[in-house]
Amino acid sequence: MRETYGTVLPGMNLADLTGKLIVIEGTDGVGRSTQIDLLKPWLEQEGRAVLDTGLTRSDLAGRGIKQAKEGHTLGPLTLSLFYATDFTDRLEQEIVPALRAGFVVLTDRYIYSLMARALIRGIDAAWLQNAYSFALKPDAVFYLRIGVDDLIPRVVFSRGFDYWESGMDLHPSEDMYESFRKYQTALLAQFDLLAEKYVFDVIDASGSPQGVFGQLRDRIGRVLSGEPREPLFSLVTAPPVPLAASDGDGRKEAAPVRAFEVPEKTPAKVPEKHPARERTGKGAAHAAAKTSGGAESV
Amino acid sequence: MKRYGEHRFPGKLFVVEGIDGSGKSTQLLLLHQWLKAEGFGVVFSEWNSSPLVRDITKRGKKKQMLSPATFSLIHSTDFADRTERNIIPLLKAGAVVLCDRYIYTAFARDVARGMDPKWVRELYSFAVKPTAAFYFRVPLETAIQRLLDGRSGFKYYEAGMDLGLSVDTEESFRLFQGRIIEEYEKMVPEFELTAVDATQPIEVEQAQMRQIVRSKLAQAKRLRVAP
Repeated sequence: MRETYGTVLPGMNLADLTGKLIVIEGTDGVGRSTQIDLLKPWLEQEGRAVLDTGLTRSDLAGRGIKQAKEGHTLGPLTLSLFYATDFTDRLEQEIVPALRAGFVVLTDRYIYSLMARALIRGIDAAWLQNAYSFALKPDAVFYLRIGVDDLIPRVVFSRGFDYWESGMDLHPSEDMYESFRKYQTALLAQFDLLAEKYVFDVIDASGSPQGVFGQLRDRIGRVLSGEPREPLFSLVTAPPVPLAASDGDGRKEAAPVRAFEVPEKTPAKVPEKHPARERTGKGAAHAAAKTSGGAESV
Repeated sequence: MKRYGEHRFPGKLFVVEGIDGSGKSTQLLLLHQWLKAEGFGVVFSEWNSSPLVRDITKRGKKKQMLSPATFSLIHSTDFADRTERNIIPLLKAGAVVLCDRYIYTAFARDVARGMDPKWVRELYSFAVKPTAAFYFRVPLETAIQRLLDGRSGFKYYEAGMDLGLSVDTEESFRLFQGRIIEEYEKMVPEFELTAVDATQPIEVEQAQMRQIVRSKLAQAKRLRVAP
């Protein structure tokens, strides 16, 4: 029987949801939709029916959110609830019926992205956990992880900086580049914390799309064949960088932002990570951050 | 993020609650007139202040697209918008803010639709605690009689038709509003709602309300200019 994160919505029968719920998470511009575009035909060739869905695609609230963001007029709490409405509409109208019909549901982001964005806008972790407590626990969450230095060139040379992806509503800086950098650094830190709490499968996304696809395909193949899920390595989490702190070395004296019941010991792991890694942007460094303890959720 | 009961503002917040036909809106209107005449800076905070959220809610209702969960969440979105952009700034400015329905309406309706009571309360935990919340207690039949005299019928969600309690709109309304009354009664002690016997003459109820409001307005700002 499928589980939720706490509460169950009225009328939602958790029995017989035989499909698989697979989440692709990661920050803006990391290549999630590229991967979904590769995964869907592959799964279909394998004989699996696929539903792909993603944020702001609900019939009820999708268009409204897009309009609201154009006007930049909604407060952080309002926007958070608007996203929750959109998520819930898709959960009830698309995701659950597809799982009941035995589909593989590939979702481009899930509650975690919504939480990460809200957390750096000052929304309480406990409040968010309650708001999304009826969300179904996925069969796997693949976190496409990238450092901000690898992310920037991708965004600049493809679509340019976007108002929301640069966190401009938070006014981190007058300059779009600085804003993007600060905002995404803070967002990535939140993702890393969520990755520990919710035990994401981490995939280094700094490599080629084909390489990332290969890894996703292997791991999804294991999920579909029913092999027990084991996170391949635990993530060594950087201390979260508050948005106000300057980039680079400023991180050392930065106080951690509040996040999901972060264990006190987390910052102690930091020495394994050093500023040079961020600058050289060699993706292999992520994978090098293996720990012997394995990833245990709290 | 400040939680219920943690806000400290110079303004005052009064809300009325109760089922349709309880007479709460009439009472709030009379209170409004009186407060204006007394020289207070008084403002009505309307539901659905955000045109954008209002349009989504309207469409969702019209097309009957709302489940208990999305009904709850879209209304909380609207309420958050009112809180962030309207109620809190007004209270900061020292206004007397009047609300026809508040979070207790959401608690009553959403729980009557099967949502988890704790979940809904936590969802609205960002709301400002009212200075006083009046609950107009009325027997269901009295309310229904008042409503049937005054209008042509009940709307789909208002009658709880989405719950499939009955195919007959009036019967469904009766069953659904009965559940809502049960929820209100639970909230009277929980949130220290001031219960008003809403079967009394209008002017008697208003006098009771004014007495309580007056006692809470000792230090509230009055406008220098007479209205």
